Amino acid sequence: MSSTSQKHKDFVAEPMGEKPVMALAGIGEVLGKRLAEKGFDKAYVVLGQFLVLKKDEELFRDWIKDTCGANVKQQGDCYGCLKEWCDAFL
Amino acid sequence: MALLSRKTAQEISELLDEYGIKHGPVVDSTRGLYEKKIKEAMGKGKRTKYEPLPDKTFYREEEDEVTYVYRTPVRSEGAGDYRDSGSYMSSRPNWNEREFQQEMSYSTYARPRSEYRGREYVEEPYLYDKTSSYRNSSLTSTPIKSGQDAPKAPQSKSRLIPLWVQFMFFLAVAVFLYIVFSSMETNESLEGIE
Repeated sequence: MSSTSQKHKDFVAEPMGEKPVMALAGIGEVLGKRLAEKGFDKAYVVLGQFLVLKKDEELFRDWIKDTCGANVKQQGDCYGCLKEWCDAFL
Repeated sequence: MALLSRKTAQEISELLDEYGIKHGPVVDSTRGLYEKKIKEAMGKGKRTKYEPLPDKTFYREEEDEVTYVYRTPVRSEGAGDYRDSGSYMSSRPNWNEREFQQEMSYSTYARPRSEYRGREYVEEPYLYDKTSSYRNSSLTSTPIKSGQDAPKAPQSKSRLIPLWVQFMFFLAVAVFLYIVFSSMETNESLEGIE
């Protein structure tokens, strides 16, 4: 199992509240900006999308790739981050 | 196919189910993704639950016996069968038991008729040839799409090695053993060993 980044650890440690979308693991400035342009300006909006996709990995990966052009690693990081957050808090 | 964007969310959802695509609710934010997935599935020529494969024929036996089932790896046999296998014809009843036993050895085929789903069959009755143990070769005697089936039969069966190859191999082994035995020396001709 690959180790998680500090960003991931920080995100899953507490409720996300109003954290911006760039707080998500795998989402940096560029991707964050693209997501924000599409209306996903807060992490919880992406969470909403994650949940509407029934927390399915493949669907979520496809969606985030289509929406902001995330590569495989970024997709995986973001998915893992959200999944773990949900496991802890949802 | 009508424009996907014109379809209602319900229709999109049904299309996704038809292609066997796992999905959540079709809402504004997910619709684009699902439309894309449907287009991909259509482009790949994936079969839906309701489209039969045109080249396959369906062999039926008596209703209470096992049914020869064609399988493709893509779709599972689901409950979506809307084809009525009503033109079901019972042929010779007396071979059924033997065929049944043959069928049992091919575990993938040992299914009752009710489990068969019509995606892969054409509604022609198949008169089973009692003497033929290789089902696909007996296919050639049927007038229906046999030409397409003969070359495809080895692939569409779920056997890794076609039956005729198995027979040939068995024969080869038998001949080999015969040769070995026939060339073995008898006791009388050996000398010097006490």
